[in-house]
Amino acid sequence: MEITFAVLLWGVRIAFLVVLYLFVIRSFGALQRALGSEMAVAARPLGIAFLVVQRSVRGAPRVGDRLPLRAVNAIGRDAGNDLVINDEAASARHALVEFADGEWWVEDAGSTNGTLVNGETVRSRERLQYGDELGIGRVALRLEQ
Amino acid sequence: MNKSQGAALPASPPRWGLGGIAARSRFTELSLLVWVGLLAVFGFIAVVGAETSSFGSASIVVPAIFIVLVLSLHVFLIARRFRGDQVLMPIAAGFTAIGLVLVQRLASDLLLQQLSWTIIAGGAFAATILIPRDLTALARFKWTWAFLGVLLLVAPLFPIIGREINGARIWVKVGPGSIEPWEAVKLLLVIFFAAYLEEYREVLSRSQRRIGPFPIPPIPYLVPIVAMWGIAMLVMIFEKDIGATALFFGIFLAMLFLATGEGFYAVLGLALLLVGGFVAYQLFGHVQVRVDTWLRPFDEDLRFGSGYQLVQGLYALANGGLFGAGLGNGMPDRIPVVWSDFVFDAFAEETGFAGALALLTLYLLFLYRGMVIALRAPTTFLQLLAAGLSFIIALQTLVIVGGNARLIPLTGITLPFVAYGGSSLVTNWMLVALLLRVSEVSNRMREGP
Amino acid sequence: MTAPIAANIRSLTLALAIAFLVTSVGVSYWTILASDQLANDPFNPRLIAASNDRPRGAILDRNGAPLATTEKGASGFVRSYKDQSLAQVVGYASLQFGLSGVEAAYAESLIGQDPADPISIWRARYLGERQAAGSVVLGIDEKIQKAAVEALGGRRGAIVAVDPRSGAMLASVSVPSFDPNEVVDLQRQQAAMDKLNNAPEHPLLNRAAQGQYPPGSTFKVVTASAALESGFDPTKKLRVDDPYQADRSWGDYFVRSASHAHGLFDMSDGFRLSENIYFAQVGLQIGGGKLAEYAKRFGIGTAPKLDLPAAKGQLSGSGLLDRPTLVADTSYGQGELLVSPLQMALIYATIANGGVMPTPHYATGVRDAEGHVVRQVAPGAQGQVISANTAKTLTTMLVGAVAGPGAFAFGAKVPGVDVAGKTGTAETRPGEAPHGWFVGFAPAEAPTVVVAVIVENAAEGGVTAAPLGAQVMRAALGK
Repeated sequence: MEITFAVLLWGVRIAFLVVLYLFVIRSFGALQRALGSEMAVAARPLGIAFLVVQRSVRGAPRVGDRLPLRAVNAIGRDAGNDLVINDEAASARHALVEFADGEWWVEDAGSTNGTLVNGETVRSRERLQYGDELGIGRVALRLEQ
Repeated sequence: MNKSQGAALPASPPRWGLGGIAARSRFTELSLLVWVGLLAVFGFIAVVGAETSSFGSASIVVPAIFIVLVLSLHVFLIARRFRGDQVLMPIAAGFTAIGLVLVQRLASDLLLQQLSWTIIAGGAFAATILIPRDLTALARFKWTWAFLGVLLLVAPLFPIIGREINGARIWVKVGPGSIEPWEAVKLLLVIFFAAYLEEYREVLSRSQRRIGPFPIPPIPYLVPIVAMWGIAMLVMIFEKDIGATALFFGIFLAMLFLATGEGFYAVLGLALLLVGGFVAYQLFGHVQVRVDTWLRPFDEDLRFGSGYQLVQGLYALANGGLFGAGLGNGMPDRIPVVWSDFVFDAFAEETGFAGALALLTLYLLFLYRGMVIALRAPTTFLQLLAAGLSFIIALQTLVIVGGNARLIPLTGITLPFVAYGGSSLVTNWMLVALLLRVSEVSNRMREGP
Repeated sequence: MTAPIAANIRSLTLALAIAFLVTSVGVSYWTILASDQLANDPFNPRLIAASNDRPRGAILDRNGAPLATTEKGASGFVRSYKDQSLAQVVGYASLQFGLSGVEAAYAESLIGQDPADPISIWRARYLGERQAAGSVVLGIDEKIQKAAVEALGGRRGAIVAVDPRSGAMLASVSVPSFDPNEVVDLQRQQAAMDKLNNAPEHPLLNRAAQGQYPPGSTFKVVTASAALESGFDPTKKLRVDDPYQADRSWGDYFVRSASHAHGLFDMSDGFRLSENIYFAQVGLQIGGGKLAEYAKRFGIGTAPKLDLPAAKGQLSGSGLLDRPTLVADTSYGQGELLVSPLQMALIYATIANGGVMPTPHYATGVRDAEGHVVRQVAPGAQGQVISANTAKTLTTMLVGAVAGPGAFAFGAKVPGVDVAGKTGTAETRPGEAPHGWFVGFAPAEAPTVVVAVIVENAAEGGVTAAPLGAQVMRAALGK
């Protein structure tokens, strides 16, 4: 086997490994970017619905405030939530309001005092219609278009 | 009761179109496919070059065909204005490319067959993108899938169409070749489990009665799913395929855990697996052989007999070192049936630990993406479906690489996409298509029309 | 309340990611950590690969006569073995069954990649070029080997001849042997291998280096060395009365004299007449600890640093001599002792070599295709085991053991040469005939050859073995 051919062949072999690694790295980068844009999209207000504050306590959002809703909204006392409800009666992670299958849904995220929809405790995942009133602790929010 | 069969999905603009405006560009996918193309080209040049000691033009033919196939799929997705994930298909294509290179290297007489199967897999992929029109329809027919699955599983046992190869009766004759129906069954099983568990998830995880920390599951609801799984297990045992048995068992456990979150089921399941494995070891000769070979492959009485394949595989790994012996430069052909059972070791011999690590990382990325798709899916059924499908690929990879590296006993499972095998290639590409469809549903939901 | 699936998905993914990590570590074990060990495994076909596309190197004896060569056959290259008596030493090279013997130990050299020539390794790996392999030269001397083969004949056992100055193996016979050509013949290899593996007399075993037997009286030099170096006076006479027992606590156990002796013996007498009771008393006087120490110094319990596999032997089951009866028994060469013929040859070679133990080796060098020396195999000496004086004293007594009046080893006499040596009749299992040993060297004043002979289950024990030793030594000395 002559030297030039051997060198070229080794070059191709090395190129294969290099391309493989670059492919892995690029795929990872693409995944991260896709994740980022998906998060951003999820974070964008959908602009089709709001939760309007009906009743509130001191420190929580004021009555009359229109809170814009995203595709997925975490609600609770914790500062990391999408909608922060500063009420002692509300848990850190209280509820989840989500737009899926063309409808709005509310789900209790494991709160101590429960989540109410029109006065009734939410058992698991239930539809939230426009006009329904959501109870988080002592704060009441109504879903409006 | 909670069934997320909500209102119709938002209407979307005309689905077909060509030309820049009507079509929807998938630039990320294209840029990744470029790398896949390079991978195929370099791989083939290296392997054929090493074999023929010259850089002939023949080495470009197969990669070219492959690239054309993959690009057509890409164009197909663009024309369909497909909004799903853009990374999974290139990763699957990357695996397939590596698989073709390895078939050329290890069993070049089978290359034509594998290439044909690849084209068929591409077709199956496209078909799965198109039908069914609504994914949730899949959930409605769960008992049909269950029945079909059992039928397919049992088919190899029938006298005329069934065939026994290498001690396992899992093949069905189809024209000139044969297929493994259990590959399709794994998809059907996941769809069935996802649909069933979505419906009865509440009931199964609501632990009304507990003994200490252990939940007592409501038996009547557990019965159908356990029965379905039990049938699969029994059939597999009759067909002597412990790999598929392990896979189905794993899928069952995983889906149960995903749906209920009860770690207890996972632990119980693993305990059952160990007990079952122990019993199987005592009762079945072929299980005994596999376990003994795993424990003491270098023993004098085993190293030339049942342990020969594994021992040769380990020699291959050792020869790989960090950067490999070089494509075309190792001796992986000493491993019996290397092109399907031991491709990983062959790849590791020629590209070293570096190459093997890259490959494993790619599978991990595939899993990661699949699980993210599952997390973002809008309905429970789709979440379970996507998670289950991703799990299949991950488990298969772990089981076969584990066997090749003597971490666990060898089973009959092969490395997804990369190993030689038509039916597994087709079903795995259909799996990718399903994942893409779930991701598309999420995207359409979140991004709006 | 049902927990969201999302959390379950995350836990499952984490578990799988950990599994991937563990798998990667497992793969790294085989590709990186255990890589060298497996690469040199004699069954790794990559070490034999060359035989498929180019000829494997030859194995030659001291004078260049071929012992194993590769010839071009109808379907590729075929390995051919010329001397069946060296079957276990030269070994075989089979793609199916792997490598053994010199074929295994020098595998890399035989495919043209000797470690002393890194360029050839580099060329092979990166350019795919394989050097035309040269040859591995053994120290075996055809003359001596032939004499050993004829001497042992069809009797089961082994004969080794070593050059005490360099450690080179001059002859090595292990009976029963086998025909290695059958093992590499593609048609007959499976049947041949099955037969060899199942044969109860283990023809594949290299008895010369790996057979383990009780040494019998040949071991007495170790007891004597320990005594001499502890200040024991070899001229002091000890009372010997058959049978012997140190005290009542020995119960039914007695040391028996081979000649039912009653009288006074000094060390020369003890050697000449192979007096067990004398040596038992010596052993008890110096103590088990001292005896064990010298046995260890002489290499019993450690595998000799041979280039082929060698047995390590044992001093006793526990490694200690903790009971007086065991000390007594071991002192005259029974007890729980196990040694290989090679180990005995090395012990006597130490005595022959002024107290310095040589390192044994079958190969003496590696040559390239043009005949130039690539590497010399000459590991040198292992160190001073006993003092030169002790060695001289022992030599004199061993000469007496062959030539003295009534000497048991009279059969080993070679006309015109002073032979130093000792016979041994080692008892094995009750009901079995004892093994017959002879170990000796010549000429006593400047030894050039050490011979160890063992005949398994020989009716007359050492008396059978001694003349075989003489035959080999005669060939070595050109008489």
